[in-house]
Amino acid sequence: MKTNKEKAKEISKKAKEKQKSVLESLKNHGAKIYEDLENGQFPKFSIPSRSVSNIVYDKKLRQYILGNSNALRSAKNSAQLRSFTQLMWLAFFANRLTQEKKSSTLRDVYYSSQAFAIEFEDQSESDNIIVDLEAVTSRPREDFHIFPEERSSIFGDLNIEYTIPGYEGKKMNLSNHPDGYSIGPSLTTAELVDTSAEIVIAIEKGGLFTRFVEEQIDKKFKSIIINTGGQAPRSTRTLLKRLHDELGLPVIILTDGDVYGEHIAMVIKSGSANAAHLRELTVPDAKWVGVWATDIEKYKLPTIPMTESDIKRCYDLQKDPRYESGIWKKELEVFLRLKRKAELEAFAKYGLTNITDKYLPQKLELAKSL
Amino acid sequence: MSSIKEKFNQISPSEFFYSNRDLAGFSNPTRSLYTAVREFVENALDACDQKGVLPDVHLTIKAVEPDKPDPKPYILTVKDNGPGVDAKHIPLAFGTVLYGSKFGLKQARGMFGLGATMAILYGQITTNKPVVVKSSTDAKIQNQFEILLDIQKNKPVIVKHTTKEISKKGLSVSICLEGDYSKAGNKIRDYVYETSLITPYATITFDDPKGQKFHHPRFVKEIPPPPTIIRPHPHGIDVERIRRMIVESQFEIPTIDDTMIEKVRKDLGLSKQNLSFSAIMAKAKKKWKNLSRQVRVVIALMSFLKMDFEKLSKIRIEDLDVPNKKLYYWDFGDSQSKTVEMDPESQYYKQLTNTVQGEPLTTFLTKRFQRIGPTTAVKFAEFAGFKPEKRMGTLTNQELVNLSDSLQKFDDFMAPDSSCLAPLGEGPLEKGIQKFFNPDFVAVVQRPASAYSGFPFIVEMGIAYGGDIKTGGPHVYRYANRIPLLYDEGSDVVLKVVNDTDWGRYKVKGDPPFIIVSHICSTRIPYKTAGKENVADRQEIERELRLGLQFLSRKLAAFMSKRGQAEMAKKRANLYAKYIPMIAEFCTELAGKKKQPNYKKILDELEPAETKQTETKTLEEEKPIENK
Repeated sequence: MKTNKEKAKEISKKAKEKQKSVLESLKNHGAKIYEDLENGQFPKFSIPSRSVSNIVYDKKLRQYILGNSNALRSAKNSAQLRSFTQLMWLAFFANRLTQEKKSSTLRDVYYSSQAFAIEFEDQSESDNIIVDLEAVTSRPREDFHIFPEERSSIFGDLNIEYTIPGYEGKKMNLSNHPDGYSIGPSLTTAELVDTSAEIVIAIEKGGLFTRFVEEQIDKKFKSIIINTGGQAPRSTRTLLKRLHDELGLPVIILTDGDVYGEHIAMVIKSGSANAAHLRELTVPDAKWVGVWATDIEKYKLPTIPMTESDIKRCYDLQKDPRYESGIWKKELEVFLRLKRKAELEAFAKYGLTNITDKYLPQKLELAKSL
Repeated sequence: MSSIKEKFNQISPSEFFYSNRDLAGFSNPTRSLYTAVREFVENALDACDQKGVLPDVHLTIKAVEPDKPDPKPYILTVKDNGPGVDAKHIPLAFGTVLYGSKFGLKQARGMFGLGATMAILYGQITTNKPVVVKSSTDAKIQNQFEILLDIQKNKPVIVKHTTKEISKKGLSVSICLEGDYSKAGNKIRDYVYETSLITPYATITFDDPKGQKFHHPRFVKEIPPPPTIIRPHPHGIDVERIRRMIVESQFEIPTIDDTMIEKVRKDLGLSKQNLSFSAIMAKAKKKWKNLSRQVRVVIALMSFLKMDFEKLSKIRIEDLDVPNKKLYYWDFGDSQSKTVEMDPESQYYKQLTNTVQGEPLTTFLTKRFQRIGPTTAVKFAEFAGFKPEKRMGTLTNQELVNLSDSLQKFDDFMAPDSSCLAPLGEGPLEKGIQKFFNPDFVAVVQRPASAYSGFPFIVEMGIAYGGDIKTGGPHVYRYANRIPLLYDEGSDVVLKVVNDTDWGRYKVKGDPPFIIVSHICSTRIPYKTAGKENVADRQEIERELRLGLQFLSRKLAAFMSKRGQAEMAKKRANLYAKYIPMIAEFCTELAGKKKQPNYKKILDELEPAETKQTETKTLEEEKPIENK
């Protein structure tokens, strides 16, 4: 057994290595540009094309990835000069953030640009450049200390150890606070030390998350509960992946009984087209256990009619290769047939704890066979 | 001219204008001062133009009592270096209404010189001061008149007439009138400025009442060819005009008195001899070609009368009845009227019918109108339903109306002769625009002559962009017969055409520094109102303006896109100059270097690199990312 001190050292070393490799990658890119300029050439680099035609579903990896198409971004092209400079600045800024171990948000980045006379029309332009940097370096922005603002939360018996400056080596058990812990930069980068849990339950709704904590689902089912707050933020997806990969915990997903819920589960499982340039965000083995369309009928849940856009979304997803088979295909068809949807809260019809007492155990059982 | 005068003789023309002075632009002190300036300056320029003298016009406005508030009396003097006016014409020209030298069919700034007399009249009724005219036609003697108008009688009253020696030709007219310079000043300065733009061969000087001097020296040394007086075009004619022309084409049977007989004798070379009738006729036949029309008519009459000179002096021709082929005369000796039968086969018969009935239609058309040849004349006669040889003198009133209508309707007449027009010409116009606006771009065009209702006209236009031109354009400078049109531009045909143009199509956008000069020359400008400030949208004129403007706009568009390219290149160079150092700065820190890379090289080499923009074909062009 390693001593705690040794372990802390190891953790710190791991974090340092990661930081080193991030910095190395940035330095390599910078050096190339430097060299071009020094040689009297317009600097350029190739960037994976993120156009729709270059986003393909990789069945082996079970996620969306970028194809082989690359675009050349050159400082010589006056139309690209501005975005070239923006990207250079961002790399420069990310380099400083990483070196100084300071975290930032998308919005921070947008405003920080102004200190360097870098112009962004609006935040969406700077967000886009951040995605460019991810694509060029094949690293998520969290590696550069740029975190999302939206937070989801986590609760359960999980010991972590912070790696962020000022908290290095500090430990925390995530069942200490009944409101759950917000999944921010420090949690995403923390070392996952140990857990007694045997499963991770990701749930779409904050209300249900609280109910699960109250009902001690963590104890009853030896689980870590995560509230995705709708579509799971990338840091949450990163954490899910780490829980699965590093601690070997299976992940199951509970969503509302509609087409969007189905897709929330799919994104956790196999990523989004938007992040097709990244490979660290998916949990291909995650399992969606409900609420299925068939559950609506099976449990006679109170429903509301689907809207036009719900229906359109169904048809759109039918074109997605991931929905070509299995429950994904089947449930979509049932949704389209029913033209009605149900929320997780619908179980309240049978009592407030019905969902935890009845539905969840059945689904957990079912998950084993999926 | 005399016939026009007669029309107004019921009340005196000056009386008429006295009570209707607002018609001529003398409604208030502001407008009157401005109109008076215009009238005198235009007369001065016209006088010089017509004699081919490079005009040197000096305008002075002086307050009689400078400290009095406006409106107050001003002395307005316009001096030129033109041909001057003969002393004997001065009292009538400046002391009566409707007397002048401008009654021909050719382009001039004013029509009858009426405005100048109106200014004099207005000056007299507001200040009771005479007009002072100084004129020298020979550069030796100057006649100086002080004249008052007798309004009721439309007659000049010469207050004073002196002469003195002088060394310069020219005319100076000075009136005292009530005016408001504080209000009219802007107008007058604009007028002088814009006039000197369209009259680049003139030197115009203006001394204003505040002691300021506006001097516009000529910058073109050649005077454009003066317009010529031409015959009318058939499309521009009316019944009254034809009637007058017919009268001109007819001749009365000459009175055969002693003077006439003496003239015939002289023309035939018979002053010393007394020949018999047949000898006279033989002599006449021999000399026929050299005889004047009058003498020919007398000989023709003699051929039917069969009389020698002796006998001829004792009769008086009473009537010539061509349809009945009879000649009536009074014999003094017998004291009775006698008749002679005329033989229509006689060669002299034609001479007589010609005289009485006027010219045949075809001759009338070819001789009296411009640009009608014999073929067209015959074609027209057929179109109008007249025999080509129909005598003009025999037309009934109804036939006259038919003829006039047909002249309007016949489409095969050639376009009117434009030699009566005096466009400025592309060269001087361009020079003028260059000098006045110092633009980055200028283009001018003179359209070929065209016509509306038989009045020939020429459109000249210029476009200038950039340079010293103020933004907020297009600013339109309108001219008609070299007169700037300063007001009422809202409803002008030029403005209509300019406003109809989609300038965006010609790459003119935003608040452009951009001017348009348009000059319409015509024997008759179709002004919309008596104020002579806006031109009516006659379809033919509108079309010429449009074509001219389109031609120039295309040139402007070419300039603009060139300029756009240059600006783009500059903008791009600026982009590199801005961003490359930034890239250098960022990559220096990223690469962990201390010294920045030497990027100056690529900035210096930018120009050649810029021209060739190649993209690697294997690499896909970057597209905006679509969010799913």
